[in-house]
Amino acid sequence: MTAAPAGAPPLLTVESVDVTLGRGWRANQVLSGVDLDIWPGEIVGLVGETGSGKTTLARTVVGLVDPTRGRIVFEGQPISALRRRARRAERRRGHVQLVFQDPLRSLDPDLTVAEIVAEGLRIRGEDDGDQIRRRATAALAKVGLDATVLQRTPGQISGGQRQRVSIARALAVEPRLLICDEPVSALDASSRNHVLRLLRELRDSLGLPIVVISHDLSSLAGIADRVVVLYRGRIVEDGPVERVFATPRHPYTALLMASAPSVRDDRPLAPHQLRRSGPGPVPQDGPGACVFAARCPFAADVCAAQPPLTPVSERWSVACHRHEEWGALAPSANP
Amino acid sequence: MAIDNRKPWPDLVGAERHEGGADEVLRLDDLHVSVHNGAATAVRGVCLRVQAGEIVGLVGESGSGKTLTCRAALGVLPAGCAVERGSVSFAGFEVTALSRRDWERLHGSRMGAVFQDPASYLNPVITVGRQLAEVLRVKLGMRRRAARQRAIELFESVGLRQPERVFDQIPAELSGGMLQRVMIAIAISCDPELLVADEPTTALDVTIQAEVLELLRQLRDDRGLAVLFVSHDLAVITQLCDRIAVFYAGEIVESGPAAEITQRPRHPYTEALLRVASVGDFRRRELEIIAGQPPRVGADITGCRFAARCPVAVPECGSGQVRSVPVGDQHHVRCVHAARSVVAL
Repeated sequence: MTAAPAGAPPLLTVESVDVTLGRGWRANQVLSGVDLDIWPGEIVGLVGETGSGKTTLARTVVGLVDPTRGRIVFEGQPISALRRRARRAERRRGHVQLVFQDPLRSLDPDLTVAEIVAEGLRIRGEDDGDQIRRRATAALAKVGLDATVLQRTPGQISGGQRQRVSIARALAVEPRLLICDEPVSALDASSRNHVLRLLRELRDSLGLPIVVISHDLSSLAGIADRVVVLYRGRIVEDGPVERVFATPRHPYTALLMASAPSVRDDRPLAPHQLRRSGPGPVPQDGPGACVFAARCPFAADVCAAQPPLTPVSERWSVACHRHEEWGALAPSANP
Repeated sequence: MAIDNRKPWPDLVGAERHEGGADEVLRLDDLHVSVHNGAATAVRGVCLRVQAGEIVGLVGESGSGKTLTCRAALGVLPAGCAVERGSVSFAGFEVTALSRRDWERLHGSRMGAVFQDPASYLNPVITVGRQLAEVLRVKLGMRRRAARQRAIELFESVGLRQPERVFDQIPAELSGGMLQRVMIAIAISCDPELLVADEPTTALDVTIQAEVLELLRQLRDDRGLAVLFVSHDLAVITQLCDRIAVFYAGEIVESGPAAEITQRPRHPYTEALLRVASVGDFRRRELEIIAGQPPRVGADITGCRFAARCPVAVPECGSGQVRSVPVGDQHHVRCVHAARSVVAL
């Protein structure tokens, strides 16, 4: 299933968003000029390393963090501009749901599964106990959990089940957009595939658009339609998953792919071929330089200025001055 | 390694000597580990050997006994756990009955270990350089100056850039990947024969993980280090290891050379793990799962412990203990189907 019928407006637009966390000497710019559209019905994989700003971007989208510049538009309404009461009301409606990383820490250990899943409905102001219970049970059924877990606490169920409870909690309020922060990084391979399958089924059956945040490309391979790569607070590549994985245009995307472990010997490039070798100075690494220049083996003079995210093909953008040249400069593939 | 400043051997007073290959660093025979103060057995009859210059990987789901096995090898089983039966021998000496004092002599100087979360093993308020130098001074009796010099060399040898600067930094100033390199530097500081690495890269970014795996391989090549590497991720294991042991519910169900295991798996569980593991070309889109749940830790099961989840189970699987049989060069499988084909030959 491919998403986004032509001409449909995006469901969510993130428009040149900067986010700075902390103040004064502690101020740390976490996101710089992030532009991102999410269309109805698509699964977008947001990938980046620790500290790249992917969780901050998710928190900004749901309104937990305010952008210092730019705006967030959801279904035509600029939600980042809402203040106080309007903001609270919007959050309570729960149109955008965030599934937090590490369910063991984000789920209240003293509540039962039934209470956790029902909480969102109560916060939204529903008070019909029977109906809340029915909808909580229905949400749990959607994620493949039956009534036997209802009265257990998060500590009494397995890691994979906990992750599904987190998803059920988000689904109970019938969101229009689901954002999952590292939904599978704590799980082993079999449970990981289980949860990923579930997300894909939710998209297919409910038409629910989903953003999956991950530090690891391989967990997006089975489900994402589109992949967005963040590096130090900037989007460096954004494109259809098959095409990006077939020929990554940004050297960092290529490095991420080469570094992902594989049970087969099938990687076109080894990671050391995409790393800067030797501790030599990096002439392009000044203020305003390309964020990746310091690690990039292909950096040249032009990289002393940050390249903008530029379209290279239909719905495929890259922020690299040398996206057409570096492929030829990379050492030849494994014989 | 140029300098061999290890204390003279033998320093394990009263340890029983085993026969074994000259290069055999670690050998586990019929190891049983009990948990919950003896109420259940979580590791059942593990046999494993690790030779000098070899990287052996233990892979399995959580609760499969892989971590308990390597903790038993290090003599650091958690409270309530004990070696119930079987033997652990290190460099030819039986170590299961060692005193605490003798273990302390082995730790650091002849066995090194790194774990998943390096920050929790380092003192947050002391510079990492002093923490490494302290090991050198206590274990090798080095003077302050020499220890500092050696520490900086070690930091450089594990790929830390600007080692003098790193020496004076505290853990909070270093990234996860750098801290794991510091832990590896500490673990190899006294030139041990064995390095035990329990999920050392699980918390790291993939690009950093690839660098740490390369470092371990390089240490093996340069120093002839024997490495026992534990991970739940078969892809990481196959990338790094020479030999693999697949754990399921406390038993090794298949072991053998890495290439053999990935290309010709003989146990249905190994096959299933390979199907769910990640591959590097990313274009594969089917998401396989292994049906069912692993048994409770220490569950009492007659016959094959995987039978309940096995797609090719036959009544014979539940009828008695399934033995591990050789199916190739160093390749052993615990499955009735493999046993049958061996008998047929």
